Amino acid sequence: MLETRIRELLLDARDRCAQAGINADFNFHRERSGLIRLGNSSVALSTSEELTRLDVSVQDGRRTGAYSLNADVTSREQLDAALEQAKESCRAALPKDYDPIFCTVKEPVDESRGFDPALETLSSEAKTELCSKVIKQLKPLGHYDFSGSWSSGSTEMYLVSTANRNEAYRKLTDGRLVIVLKEQDKKWELQVERTQKAANAFTPEDIVAQFRAMLPVYEKNPGYRTQIGRQRVLFGPQAVAELASLAMWSGFNGRGWEEKRTFTANLKPGDKVFSDSVSLVDDPDNTDVFSMPFDFNGFRRRRFPVVTNGLLTALCYDSGSAAKYGRQPTGHDLGNWDLCLAPGKAGAGLAAGLKLAGNALYIPHLHYIHLPDPTQGQFTGSSRFNAMLVKDGSFAAPLVSTRVTDTIPNVLSNVVAVSSKTVPVNVSSTYDRRSPEAMSMPEYLLCDNVRINDVADGF
Amino acid sequence: MVNKTYSDARTFTEHKENLVTNTVSVVGREVRSGLERMAGSGCSFADARFYDEDRAQTLMLRDGNLEVNAGTLERGIGIRVLYKGAWGFAATGDLSQVSATFDRALTNARAAALLPGFPKTMGPAQPVQGKYEPPVKRDPFDVPLEEKLGLLKDVDTALADKSVAHRAVTATFQRRRVFYWNSEGTAIDRKALNTFGMILAMAPDKDGRMQRRSVELSSDGAGTRGYEWLSDPVCFAGHAERVKYELGQIVAAEPLPAGKRDLIILPGQGFLQVHETIGHALELDRILGYELSFAGGSHVRPEMVGTLRYGSDKLNCKAGVVPNSPGTFGYDDEGTPQHEYFLIKQGILVNVLSSRAGLAEANAKAGKTVVTRSGAAARSCAFYRTPIDRMTNINIDYGNDGSLDDIIAATSDGIIVDVPVSWSIGSNREHFHFGCEIAWEVRDGKRGKVYKNATYHGHTLEFWNSLDKVGAKPTWRLQQVPNCGKGEPNQIMELGHGIPVMRFANVLVGEKE
Repeated sequence: MLETRIRELLLDARDRCAQAGINADFNFHRERSGLIRLGNSSVALSTSEELTRLDVSVQDGRRTGAYSLNADVTSREQLDAALEQAKESCRAALPKDYDPIFCTVKEPVDESRGFDPALETLSSEAKTELCSKVIKQLKPLGHYDFSGSWSSGSTEMYLVSTANRNEAYRKLTDGRLVIVLKEQDKKWELQVERTQKAANAFTPEDIVAQFRAMLPVYEKNPGYRTQIGRQRVLFGPQAVAELASLAMWSGFNGRGWEEKRTFTANLKPGDKVFSDSVSLVDDPDNTDVFSMPFDFNGFRRRRFPVVTNGLLTALCYDSGSAAKYGRQPTGHDLGNWDLCLAPGKAGAGLAAGLKLAGNALYIPHLHYIHLPDPTQGQFTGSSRFNAMLVKDGSFAAPLVSTRVTDTIPNVLSNVVAVSSKTVPVNVSSTYDRRSPEAMSMPEYLLCDNVRINDVADGF
Repeated sequence: MVNKTYSDARTFTEHKENLVTNTVSVVGREVRSGLERMAGSGCSFADARFYDEDRAQTLMLRDGNLEVNAGTLERGIGIRVLYKGAWGFAATGDLSQVSATFDRALTNARAAALLPGFPKTMGPAQPVQGKYEPPVKRDPFDVPLEEKLGLLKDVDTALADKSVAHRAVTATFQRRRVFYWNSEGTAIDRKALNTFGMILAMAPDKDGRMQRRSVELSSDGAGTRGYEWLSDPVCFAGHAERVKYELGQIVAAEPLPAGKRDLIILPGQGFLQVHETIGHALELDRILGYELSFAGGSHVRPEMVGTLRYGSDKLNCKAGVVPNSPGTFGYDDEGTPQHEYFLIKQGILVNVLSSRAGLAEANAKAGKTVVTRSGAAARSCAFYRTPIDRMTNINIDYGNDGSLDDIIAATSDGIIVDVPVSWSIGSNREHFHFGCEIAWEVRDGKRGKVYKNATYHGHTLEFWNSLDKVGAKPTWRLQQVPNCGKGEPNQIMELGHGIPVMRFANVLVGEKE
């Protein structure tokens, strides 16, 4: 549970609001973050941030106001100042034409199983040492340069509201290492990444081995420029994660569906949306993910199927959308979900995927993906790291930058095979506050009829 | 909120200034002590940025409901030290920990120095004592919330119509006061104030696809940046009727047919074209490979500066200083005075967006001197983020090809596009795909029908070399960007782009199977 001094301060604020008849909730966030950035085979930057934030929301009937403080929020003076700002915003607010759903911590939560003290304090020296070992083993093999980043740290979240006396607390550690190997003359880039829940999650040898497995194809073959048109594509886990995220946003968010802005706008639960082999679930109990046990409206999050065997199962509603459209919130007042694409029946291991693919493009990452038309689920993005031509079940050549522009429904309705093994894909963002997020994705997804609409001159 | 114990705003302002001065003098003493201590610990450079106030307010009406009514305040200090050519950074919101934060920054730098690369140096610089504040008539944070909401509600009412399915009106205000000190004796007191606004309307077309039309608060680069800008109907509220009208045209339109046509880009779209395919590509940290693991690299290499034909002779691009822009800040986050310089001159790449520590490395990699002076592009979004190479005002000079009508009259088969819907760019900024809210056909010198689902794509150098018309001064608009993302840890930065109407020859538009 949260440090006693801060907890008592927040509970005192909650109780004072409750006594004064003010509906308020307090969302405390503390991070201890450390990051090293690699650039040009060196550590270009080493940072650490110790930050506390407090979000205060006040609701008075149909009026709401909010205020956030990122400073030393562990004093009563600061906390009260934030509360006054939120109250003033609420007082002057325009009333909504529906009844907002007030934040209520539905069940007490005290979740620290994802916390590893050693990862919280993982030093820049230790990170530098591991990266040095990787670089020293690989750099002599070619004209290579290394870049990347390694972020790790701890996050605490604590939520209370005047609706009841429940408290929700979560503390966890997370880390993500990304190393990019760039061939300095030919300009191709290979990438290896690792997600951490504990300090000793991987070794330099693991990383070196993964690079070594890819290097011969890149070193021995020129970049391959594929034909524009529809092709068979073997997507890797990061690309699948991008597609799954876009599917959630442009297909299964309740507000978008209510407002006819999703590609599912004309569908209802039970309708066919994807191939039978596709099942999407938001599952905080999955061991690959970082598990967000409650949302910012106090909803206790549990397994939430969205697509089951290709059929639309349910839509996701945050409290605001649920209130506006008369639905029940589903625990999605969050920026970061625990999204999982269920494993399929195809063989485990990339080699099995290659054999199934026969001749295809292997695209493990989709860079800078965006949605030209969300109502069709149309997306566009380009290949980047580790992309290769697959010929007769083997990697044959590196792919130059290749653009995919298609629709989510088309790609996920043309699934040929889904790996029976899943891997964690770390999609954490550090915009604003530390927000660990990982997804559980099959290690490959083989799809037919994927539209390639542009091929660059180089990598 | 105005404290009512003070009889007038001026007295209160003076009181606030005194409080700030007292806090700054306390923090400043600790910082100066820390800077001296770092110098004594072997650091070749150190600096500190104290954000005494970093305030924001966001208001959003969606379909008439106030769905976002939020304020934020950030306050703290970020410290950066350069030890044996390696950077360490640390930040805290606890101002009792200034000294300890210096120590953490040094520890981080020592760790970084264990895996050294090209040693960073700051190069020579004269100490600067400076102040900057943007032109503002009315501070948005002194405007009562009721008044702001009244303005947004009026716009929302103007948008409300049975032809509009969904609508959104948004205003965001930022106010920042940053004190900067470094170990060379530089001390800067800098204020920032930004006002952003957006009007958006959506409606389904006959195929059931949701279409949108929007406008963002922009300027001609002059004027002031306060609430008076947003509340001027000519600048903001007055666009609601046009947004609604053009949305009606879009939903009745046919999709843009695929093909190769001349492409006329209005400033509302041109800013993103410049942002993604010139601005990011010319950030020196990307060029040097320090952004590869996240944002990506650049197709530009240091040795190309001075020789690369980036675009046609008509392309003149500057890092500019524009009075009314979020990309104008007086001094960057390492104290370099902002100044104007060409990035691309008559189509030739002549400079990049830089900060002090990247110059020596760029010149070494180029094997010649390609950059001589910091481009004052070291920018950080918050006290808890370290400065990185960022865009400022990346502007295209207006040309001599007349008005939009003149350019249309000179076009036999073209498309006009405005306002991005989507943007996807290759990792080295070498190719791109953009979707736009609206397109108009141009046939035989006349603007014709509207098209929906407009997209175009191309390769950066080929595209900029096809630039064949650049509009005159009246076509030039300063577009604000409130949300440029970059860096690890991630940073969102605000900046500006001054853009004229531009025409490009033979561009791939629309989606072809």
